[in-house]
Amino acid sequence: MVRLSLKNIAVPDAWFNRLVIGAVALGFLALLATGLAAYHSVQENQFHSSRANHALLVERAITDFLAAMDRAEAGRRGYLLTGVAAHAETYHDARKHLFPLLARVRDLTRDNPQEQANVARLIALTQSDLPFMDQSIALVRSGQRDEGVRLFRNSVGRRAITVLRAQAAVMIDEENRLLAIRDAATSESIRLFYATVAAAGTILVLVGVGSIWVILGYTRSLAASRDALRLLNADLEGAVRERTADLQRANDEIQRFAYIVSHDLRSPLVNVMGFTAELEGATRKLRTMMDRVDQETPGLVDEDARIAAREDLPEAIRFIRTSTEKMDRLINAILRLSREGRRQITPETLDMNALLLSIGDAHRHQLDEKEIDFSIASKLPTIIGDRLAIEQILSNLVENAIKYMAPGRRGRIEIRGRIENQRAIFEIADNGRGIDPRDHERIFDLFRRAGVQDQLGEGIGLAHTRALAYRLGGTISVDSELGRGATFRINLPLACTAEQGA
Amino acid sequence: MTNHQPVSIIMVEDDEGHARLIEKNIRRAGITNGIRHFRDGTSALEYLHEAPDGPTHNGPALILLDLNLPDMSGIDILSRIKAAGNPLKRTPVVVLTTTDDKIEIQRCYELGCNVYITKPVNYESFADAIRQLGLFLSVIQVPDRAEADG
Repeated sequence: MVRLSLKNIAVPDAWFNRLVIGAVALGFLALLATGLAAYHSVQENQFHSSRANHALLVERAITDFLAAMDRAEAGRRGYLLTGVAAHAETYHDARKHLFPLLARVRDLTRDNPQEQANVARLIALTQSDLPFMDQSIALVRSGQRDEGVRLFRNSVGRRAITVLRAQAAVMIDEENRLLAIRDAATSESIRLFYATVAAAGTILVLVGVGSIWVILGYTRSLAASRDALRLLNADLEGAVRERTADLQRANDEIQRFAYIVSHDLRSPLVNVMGFTAELEGATRKLRTMMDRVDQETPGLVDEDARIAAREDLPEAIRFIRTSTEKMDRLINAILRLSREGRRQITPETLDMNALLLSIGDAHRHQLDEKEIDFSIASKLPTIIGDRLAIEQILSNLVENAIKYMAPGRRGRIEIRGRIENQRAIFEIADNGRGIDPRDHERIFDLFRRAGVQDQLGEGIGLAHTRALAYRLGGTISVDSELGRGATFRINLPLACTAEQGA
Repeated sequence: MTNHQPVSIIMVEDDEGHARLIEKNIRRAGITNGIRHFRDGTSALEYLHEAPDGPTHNGPALILLDLNLPDMSGIDILSRIKAAGNPLKRTPVVVLTTTDDKIEIQRCYELGCNVYITKPVNYESFADAIRQLGLFLSVIQVPDRAEADG
């Protein structure tokens, strides 16, 4: 027999729970980190993008300024060359945009001191150049075209434009540098975001794989312990069967032993009784003979012989007889027990209510005579068992209940039944004189009785009852206190199989 | 066939006391036939089958058989006597024993026992039973060997 201990099937619960909770927490942490990283990098990205946009705006404003300047210059030159009024128009139109555009650049670059300085220089250059340009236009308009052209040729105006362009280029370069830095920052934040997502993803995958692995392992160990449990169960059933078979064998042996012993005891008993009878017959003859001798020759028989024949012998014979008769009853009881143990069990479905009603009816006379209330609970469990054996058990218990009522109070016998753990339990409860707890085991022994010996009996009934209960695969026990009645409890299988009694 | 030979009673009984009581009560019933007493199965079987004055070779008999014997069970003797081909097959066998087990009784009758009597412990009943057996013996017709053989 394989002995499996419960240790083998214990599952590391605490360890497993901690692991799973840890894994789930780690997964959530990774998710949270990913979310935070995403939020952070989007913020970063937005910031850097807006900064880059800003740089572009500045560039655009500078370029616009340069374009306006170019247009103004182009208009001025056209007017100087041709004197056509439309060119002067173009110049004035472009010129009026110049300062607003510069103001815009200044506003946009308010956060950058270097650019502020650049813008200030640009504004200064423009302010210093524009009077010359205005003057040349004014000269042409007033007919002094040559004076205007001369002024134009004056290197101051041309240098101013060139310096102005260079200054604007410096600004654009600065903005481009800023743009490059901000673009790099944007890509850096995006890269960081991807790295975070990748790290979180890796952690998630690891946690997932780990969790699955652990859960698979757990499931496997669960399945293994379930199998072990099943094996243990099957083994248990086997062990129970084995044990039952052992008990059955032991029981059979005892039955056989009881049978043989009681038979072998009977043989000498036949002799004892037979020759006692012979002795009695002989004594009778002796007595008759002695009477005759006394009559014919008085004084021949002495007193001792007379007492021996008339008193001692009959007394001895009487004692031998009562003893052998008692012995005969005891041997018969053992024989009956052993015979009952060898009887074939024939299981059938038993309506216990009907069965107990018929037992009640069989004892109706005694119940009425002693004024005992006999009640049977409705719906007792129906069982499959040997009718004769179960009838004998219950009948015996009811009989005992009737027999051992307490004097001076109205007797009551209640029969109850229930199903518990696939077993049928019947209780025969009375309010009789009860049994001392010290005698609870003893009363089930053969020839043993408890309490005041005021009732007839050999002390066989309960021993017989218990033997029958065992035979059916059941047990019998008693709950009682002196003076408080007794409850006998029979625990029987719901279905007794024939092999149980084989 | 000739039936003038007296039927002899063969008693197989290991208990001396029982044998004595049985014999006494048979005599009291007025039966005078010869009674041979054997205390074990082996010698009884030998006498039944081999002895020149035994029932196989000489004269009809009636067997009183106890089941509890020291060397074999009375049932063995019964089944041997009643076995097919045994010349004593039709010899009446009265099983007289302490056993009152129903299965045992049934088995004896199945094997061909003619009468089964349980020895009552109560002596009056016992004596009564034996005397009645005596009455029974006085009227019983026993086939002689030639008939049994045929």
